[in-house]
Amino acid sequence: VKWKKEATNELILKQSVQKFTNFCHPTLPCNVLKFKSTTIMLDCGLDTTSVLNFLPLPLVHSPRLSKLPGWISKDGTINLEKELKDCAGRVFVDSQPEFCLPERELLDLSTIDVILISNYHCMMALPYITEHTGFTGTVYATEPTLQIGRLLMEEVVNFMERVPKAQSATCWKNKEIQRMLPGPLKDAVDVWTWKRCYSMQEVNSALSKVQLVGYSQKVELFGAVQVSPLSSGYSLGSSNWIIQSHHEKVSYVSGSSLLTTHPQPMDQSSLKNSDVLILTGLTQMPTANPDGMLGEFCSNLAMTIRAGGNVLVPCYSSGVIYDLLECLYQFIESASLGTTPFYFISPVANSSLEFSQIFAEWLCHNKQTKVYLPEPPFPHAELIQTNKLKHYPSIHGDFSSEFRQPCVVFTGHPSLRFGDVVHFMELWGKSSLNTIIFTEPDFSYLDALAPYQPLAMKCVYCPIDTRLNFHQVSKLLKEVQPLHVVCPEQYTQPPLTQSHRSDLMLELQPPPMPYRRCSVLNLPFRRRYERVYILPELANSLVPSEIKPGVSVATVSAVVHSKDNKHTLQSVPKPPPVAPSKKRKRVMDEPPVVLAPKPLLSGAVPLEAFLATLQKHGITEVKVEETADGHILHLQAEDTLIQLEEDGTHIVCDNNEPLRTTLRDLVLRFLQKL
Amino acid sequence: MDRECVSLLPRVCEVLAASGSSLPDDTSLEKLLDWFTGLTKAGTSLLESCPCLLEFISTVVHNTALDPSILSFTLRLTGFVAVTEVAFKVLQESSVLDLVFNLQHWQEAGLWEDPCIRIGWIQGLRTMMQHPKALSFFVQADFLQPLLQLQTDKSLFVASAANQMLAHVLLSCQSVSSVGSNDVDEEGEDVGRSGGSIADLEYSAVTVETNQDYAAVVTAISECLKKSLVPRENTQLHQSLQILKLLALLLAQTRPPLWEKLLQMVADSVDELLVAGYSQLILPLMDVILAAYSSCDVNRRAPDQRVSRLLSFMLNIRKPADLIQAAAAFLRRGLHDLVHTAQSARVLLLPLDIITGLNLLTTTDEQRFLMMEQLKNKTSCISLICVCLTNTPQMTLMAADCLPCPPVLIVTAVLSLLKLCSGDSSSPSSSSSGCREVSRNVIGSSKVQKCALDALTALSGSPGVEVKLAEVFTLLVQCLDNPDSDPTVLQKSFQALVQWMSVCSDLSSITDQHRQDLLQVVRKRSCDIRWEVRDSTVEFLGRLAGVRVIQTTAEEASDASVAVLGGCCFTTPLLRAALQDTESYVRASAISALAQTLAASWQQGAALTQEQTEIVNQLLEVLSWDTEGFARRAVVRYFIAWLSSMSSHSCVQSPASSSLLMPSVRSVLSRGSADLDWEVKVHTLELAELLLDEAFSGQRGYTKGNPTQTHPYAVIPNTLHTRTHNEEDVVGVLNSLVQWGVVSALLSGLVDCDRPVALRACRLLITLREVVCPLSLGALDATAAMATVARVTCELPGCGWAREIRKMLVMKAKDANAEGGVSGGEVVNCDDCGEAGQEAASVGGQTPCVSVCEVLRSLDLDERLDVLTRSSDHVHNSPLSLLQDILTASSARSQPDTQQEVIADCY
Repeated sequence: VKWKKEATNELILKQSVQKFTNFCHPTLPCNVLKFKSTTIMLDCGLDTTSVLNFLPLPLVHSPRLSKLPGWISKDGTINLEKELKDCAGRVFVDSQPEFCLPERELLDLSTIDVILISNYHCMMALPYITEHTGFTGTVYATEPTLQIGRLLMEEVVNFMERVPKAQSATCWKNKEIQRMLPGPLKDAVDVWTWKRCYSMQEVNSALSKVQLVGYSQKVELFGAVQVSPLSSGYSLGSSNWIIQSHHEKVSYVSGSSLLTTHPQPMDQSSLKNSDVLILTGLTQMPTANPDGMLGEFCSNLAMTIRAGGNVLVPCYSSGVIYDLLECLYQFIESASLGTTPFYFISPVANSSLEFSQIFAEWLCHNKQTKVYLPEPPFPHAELIQTNKLKHYPSIHGDFSSEFRQPCVVFTGHPSLRFGDVVHFMELWGKSSLNTIIFTEPDFSYLDALAPYQPLAMKCVYCPIDTRLNFHQVSKLLKEVQPLHVVCPEQYTQPPLTQSHRSDLMLELQPPPMPYRRCSVLNLPFRRRYERVYILPELANSLVPSEIKPGVSVATVSAVVHSKDNKHTLQSVPKPPPVAPSKKRKRVMDEPPVVLAPKPLLSGAVPLEAFLATLQKHGITEVKVEETADGHILHLQAEDTLIQLEEDGTHIVCDNNEPLRTTLRDLVLRFLQKL
Repeated sequence: MDRECVSLLPRVCEVLAASGSSLPDDTSLEKLLDWFTGLTKAGTSLLESCPCLLEFISTVVHNTALDPSILSFTLRLTGFVAVTEVAFKVLQESSVLDLVFNLQHWQEAGLWEDPCIRIGWIQGLRTMMQHPKALSFFVQADFLQPLLQLQTDKSLFVASAANQMLAHVLLSCQSVSSVGSNDVDEEGEDVGRSGGSIADLEYSAVTVETNQDYAAVVTAISECLKKSLVPRENTQLHQSLQILKLLALLLAQTRPPLWEKLLQMVADSVDELLVAGYSQLILPLMDVILAAYSSCDVNRRAPDQRVSRLLSFMLNIRKPADLIQAAAAFLRRGLHDLVHTAQSARVLLLPLDIITGLNLLTTTDEQRFLMMEQLKNKTSCISLICVCLTNTPQMTLMAADCLPCPPVLIVTAVLSLLKLCSGDSSSPSSSSSGCREVSRNVIGSSKVQKCALDALTALSGSPGVEVKLAEVFTLLVQCLDNPDSDPTVLQKSFQALVQWMSVCSDLSSITDQHRQDLLQVVRKRSCDIRWEVRDSTVEFLGRLAGVRVIQTTAEEASDASVAVLGGCCFTTPLLRAALQDTESYVRASAISALAQTLAASWQQGAALTQEQTEIVNQLLEVLSWDTEGFARRAVVRYFIAWLSSMSSHSCVQSPASSSLLMPSVRSVLSRGSADLDWEVKVHTLELAELLLDEAFSGQRGYTKGNPTQTHPYAVIPNTLHTRTHNEEDVVGVLNSLVQWGVVSALLSGLVDCDRPVALRACRLLITLREVVCPLSLGALDATAAMATVARVTCELPGCGWAREIRKMLVMKAKDANAEGGVSGGEVVNCDDCGEAGQEAASVGGQTPCVSVCEVLRSLDLDERLDVLTRSSDHVHNSPLSLLQDILTASSARSQPDTQQEVIADCY
């Protein structure tokens, strides 16, 4: 450490280990980082695949679904006719769909200081975390993340509340009973923790805790760490986070994309020099190239329309749909689909389409420049103007009067269990002219279609996941060179179904630190120091002495003052002048007694010179013995031992204090004092 | 030589000798040299026809202050002048020659540093060295050493020229020595650029003395080769490379005993070079060895022991990348050497063997290990695999005893490589971890995919591979279905599919499932987002219709489109949809694919369907409205195909299709000849030509095709198709040609501003004239003999092309009147078209009609043809124009005040 006599000089102290806990799966992360005495939750994604075990919620009365037989075990001992229905050879729960929440037992959620959100898909569990748990912290997210996240939550709440179910099935969750159930229900995990959807009120309350941040804005957390979002290129306002102290840097990379789509491109350079990089949210479809899938989507769509059929695209109301519409905008003409109507049906369709147009600063450069022309950044504005794309809040109302076939319908929810999509499945499922094209990768399409079997409708699976694939991530890591990478266990081995594809895994040197659900990792930090400030007057009083060229040392006696994780060395207050009053104050109030510090010694005792000095002082009979660490001198006449070692000198001299003092002074002659 | 040029040359020489800076542009000197080259080749003696050149050379060569480009030009010019022995003597006697090629002269003037002087020196010598005198001059002046030095010149052009020159010298020495020693080779190689061979030269010129000189030259060159072949350090690789190139040249062209001598001299050095193992020198080394080897092969000599040994060494190098290169180079030569061919094949198949794990061959573990290590590197893996794939088709055609495994197995390997590329796990290679590491390198590599598809296409012709058809079919359909396949991969997959089906005409192994899969994928690709893919799909549909195959059930031949796609009912709707495509290439491909698809029904004379009528209407619309030329050209070609298929199957011509075809052809002719695209117009004329052929085939005087190309004494077959037309017939035919619009199309083409259009129209009009009213009949005879034919008229409306034709007719009439002694003052009305016009006027009406015969005879077609045949820049490219340009530029420079910079405004 270079010594400067200035006010803000720093000292470096060792610090304790950082911990990393995680609760959830790689694409819907929910991790907790304990770093520098702060507890930071990284994302709170909601696993919605649990809804696939439930019956679809039809918007319009469905005779087929209402007449399903109830389930009774083969031997007749268990009768759950009311709760479970047999549909298309599989058993489904007939109740309002429920979600699988992040683990809440591992950690007291009230101890979480902040939650950092990386994109709007990774915040769907927020109300479950912030409401009714004693959570008192702050949530940080960018503005588009908050607004579009709100839309997505609002949409789900709306889908659920539109079709209220009186009953809530709980009997089937009994461990004994669940064991007896068939198919996927039997293997569903943690069913007791599954919860119904939150209410709008809870959503509003949860979102009121969100503090908005902009890219590269630095937010101080209790003076201990600084967090800062960076563009991750995946969706509007999506971010990676840098969490750093003065000496450590942790990067949290979640849901990033290097493809040129609508959002601002990924900021890679700021990720450099990380001690630890937590990597999650890679593509769920490493073998499906988004460009190829987009092509498949378009050609299947055109093929169906040309043959006179309808196309159903179950999708979220924000995200990939913008790119799909943009791609179709260019494709419509070349495929002669100019007259085919495109419908976008969602309670938040209008807001989603409009929001996307106003978040100009969060868009890629191309789209930003359009805003200054001024033109709408997304071409869907033109599709709406020319009446090629029409949007409706639901199938009720205006839509039913303007509905023309053949057409293309974009609607949610991609699980096919709730939302307007259920209606279209019932309506179009029976004709082989129609096609359903899955573009969202979150759900297995076969499971999604299970309650609609037998299905005549053609089914095409074109999952479009623009997040990083393994090839891109290897390149990225080569570029940013973090010291350590922490990632879900799944990323460290090839997919189970394609064990020969060694290209579909992360191969790094040193190997990444894998984690699995509910595991706790100690993060390896090379440097563990703390910055301490010295007040100017104290710094002025220091007397450095040079111990070797360029290195000076001084002793400091000071009081450490710690507040808001900032440490300051202050001068020791002088003892107050002796009070005139003889009355003594309470001991407690008395300032600590400050003794003048003993000088610090440094240097080594040179053997030959020391022996010569001893001889001068009349000690001649010295037997020198070499040891592992130095030498032992036997002063035979005096029956005394002197141990000269690298880090200490001992004089063993019984009952001869004057000799000991003489010897001590002789030793001190060879040492430097501070 | 052109007299005018000869007269200008002295002044040009003056200009050049005065200063070279005033040349019109920097290519002038090259153009001049080209002209001289042409003259020399034609046997002209430059010195005789242009004596001024001698003075020019001697002036320039003394003036070293001149621009180096002029000096270099002079050096090269001297070579041309001295190409004949006589001129050589003159130059030598006037002591010009010594000075021109005197190195010291140029070095002292400080000009030798300029590469253009050095190259001028080499090329001048090279041109001159066509006779023994020049060779003696070369030897006596001791030019060999400087030439050897120039071989490693820092300028690549100089070095390469020096190399060529050295080869030339050596070969010249060989010829002369062999002549001198009476060991005349009957075949006497032609080494002279100007066509003169040294072997033809007078023998007596070669004395024993000179013979010794030549032997010394040969020895010096071979010594130098030997010495500089092995680089002493890495920086000298360039020199070795040059020497190797020269050696390859020499070994390919020399004969024994020189060949033997050369080989003996360099054999040790080559050995040394081989052991040193420089990867950069592998291919040049292989060139040398193969040149020596093929020279034995060509001359039907037994392969030299040393050469065989070197070759074996090359095919056993330990570095896999070098080894593959050497093996590929050997196979490409196609030499008759069973042992080495078999060895090369094994080397080349090894990467494929390792990556697919198919055990194609037996090799040593060491070879396998080395190759495997090399393949683990992604870049070299891809390049090795590609070299291997490129050579597989040739290998499968080799004799069975050369091939380590049957061709079928190679096809299997290529198929499994393609599966690997698409990330398919079923390949057996996944067994060992090394293979996994290697196969990872090709996953998703479209370069390997393309190479493999090319190989697969070519492998369709290998013996015994038909059994693989079903497997190939399945894999190609998978490739076509893969969302990640890039457009080129898809195109190549389509091509491979067509190729395999056309080779394996028996489609019995193709199941219904195969057909269904293909239908599905074709349907999908025809809607692809990328136009290139839509284009390849449409092309595929067309090509497939042209492939004849045998189907399972009925042993009847049909086209592949019917066999695998169900024919028109599937194809036509897709193609009609493609007619609406936004991309003009796709529309054009769709149109030609429609033509190919419907060709069968046209030939069979099937009745017209409603759909076909709709298609024709759609096509005529495309011709009228499409903004892109490609689509419109394709429409005209469609009708050409239809019409020619009808005429070649005239016996089954169905009146139904004619009723649609002929009116359409009429529209095509009128719309096509008014098109803005010259290619559309040329195609339209082709259509017109078909109609002419159809109308007059067998008619006396009618020659099909290009009239100027027929030889006057050529035998014209007149027995087979000769139909005897009487005049009435001719009138009828001509009338119908007028009605179809053929005559209008031809006349409008004649005055077209695009030369190819006008040329073609002119030729066709001449053809027509020769049938209808040949010029050989005098004017009076013609009127008498063709009174009826002359009555056939066509319309000449008052605008556009017709106006042009009318003008020409008026001019012609004027000339005729003038010749006929009619007073020159007679005013000819522009609308009045002479006799023909008057006749038309008498008919009355807005658009006057003219007699076709009259027009044909009055248009001076032959003169016009002559003008049109010459290229448009023939004036600018003539030597005369070049010489004039040089003089003009010089005078412009000498009067700077009057010179005004001409700024061309392109807009």
